[in-house]
Amino acid sequence: MKEKEPKIVCFSCRFSWGYLGSEEDIAARLENWIPIICTGKIDPVHILTAFRQGADGVLILGCPEGDCHYQDGNIEARKRITLLYNVLKSYGIERERLKLHLGADPVGKTMPQLVKEMADTVRKLGPRSGDNPIQKKSAARTK
Amino acid sequence: MTAAKKGRKMTDKKKVAILWLGSCGGCDETIVDINELILGVVNSVDLVLWPVALDFKYHHIEKMADGEIALGIINGHVRNSDHAEMARLMRQKSQVILAFGACACFGGTPGLANLRSKEDIFRWVYQEAPTVINPKGVCPQTTTSLDGKELTLPEMFESVHSLDQVIDVDYYLPGCPPPPYLVLKAITAFLEDTLPAKGSSLASHKALCDTCPRNASKPNKVSITEIKRIHEVEADPTKCFLSQGIICMGPATRSGCGESCININIPCRGCFGHIELVADSGAKFLSGLASMIDADDEAGLEKISEQVRDTMGYLYRFSLPISIMNQKKL
Repeated sequence: MKEKEPKIVCFSCRFSWGYLGSEEDIAARLENWIPIICTGKIDPVHILTAFRQGADGVLILGCPEGDCHYQDGNIEARKRITLLYNVLKSYGIERERLKLHLGADPVGKTMPQLVKEMADTVRKLGPRSGDNPIQKKSAARTK
Repeated sequence: MTAAKKGRKMTDKKKVAILWLGSCGGCDETIVDINELILGVVNSVDLVLWPVALDFKYHHIEKMADGEIALGIINGHVRNSDHAEMARLMRQKSQVILAFGACACFGGTPGLANLRSKEDIFRWVYQEAPTVINPKGVCPQTTTSLDGKELTLPEMFESVHSLDQVIDVDYYLPGCPPPPYLVLKAITAFLEDTLPAKGSSLASHKALCDTCPRNASKPNKVSITEIKRIHEVEADPTKCFLSQGIICMGPATRSGCGESCININIPCRGCFGHIELVADSGAKFLSGLASMIDADDEAGLEKISEQVRDTMGYLYRFSLPISIMNQKKL
């Protein structure tokens, strides 16, 4: 049986990622792509909702450090994500399933490759524990 | 008391039922804490069920007509089949259902048990906990045969549920427990027919920070370089907890508690739950806390992140069963 392709949700900042490329072309190559105005707008609620709805991984593409259009949105995103790792851990979701990548690609050519790399990382972790993320945690608990 | 009121028959009064499900009894205690004013309430309504205080039986409720009870007040979470059955019976017999207290509204502190599976909990409680001596591995069963008779126990569900995950709820009165003045206000609104729109929370619509006596001491930008736990420091009783690096859930918690914790120099733990239109108060607080952290490099950020001990206990102390990742209808 063919292995199921991991579902990766990709949020990307419009100011550094794909603004010179065609949105239709990028969307055609990225299945779950959500372009946003700034990574600082991403709330933990959005990331948790993605996981709740079955994402195997969440990739966030933000502007390079020091280059945020809104001064420090990318740094704010990094702070939220770092704290959110603690929550994901409690749900049995590995740290590798949520990644913030700071950089720039105006044409958006590298975006499918970054998503693929994320999918490869996530595939190595195995499937997520489905509807009830708690089960995995319980099963993994040692004395 | 007027002569007309004195002469009023029991049947003229609105019937009120108070029920506890998975509850510690604190919610019933807060009703008693209305003190002498409770006498006025008792005089205005016909109490038909209050297991903690009165000797009415569940079969009395079963015999009632649908909708005969004007107000059903339910405290506690739903954890087993008995809770669910009683909640459904109350819904059937009541015109209005009030979810009373943090457990009924959000699942409450027992909801943190949802971080473990039922199987895991049973294994720990009946086998692995260091204080347990159970060589035969005895574990509660829903049915047991004894001397030719069948004994039954309610079935424990996989998760703790809030009341609205089981039945339709009309109003919410949060708090652990709700303060007596809000209880009285809610009952008065019910008696005077001035309840707000269905689905409303019968508490303030502001965040606790808005009404906090320490609000004025909060700097424009809170900057946290180190997170401390309340027992590790002597907190300044006049200053905003967050500005002292102590986690306080005030920004993401509904007000209305009378700032009772703040007033004894204890930070807010979030028992009034989320503010209107917020889907997950824990995630929202996390977002706010992140913006207060003053660390630009990853190493510094990791260090502060590690200082948040028991993240889930802070973020979801009362609300794990209704959080985005955990919510589940029964």
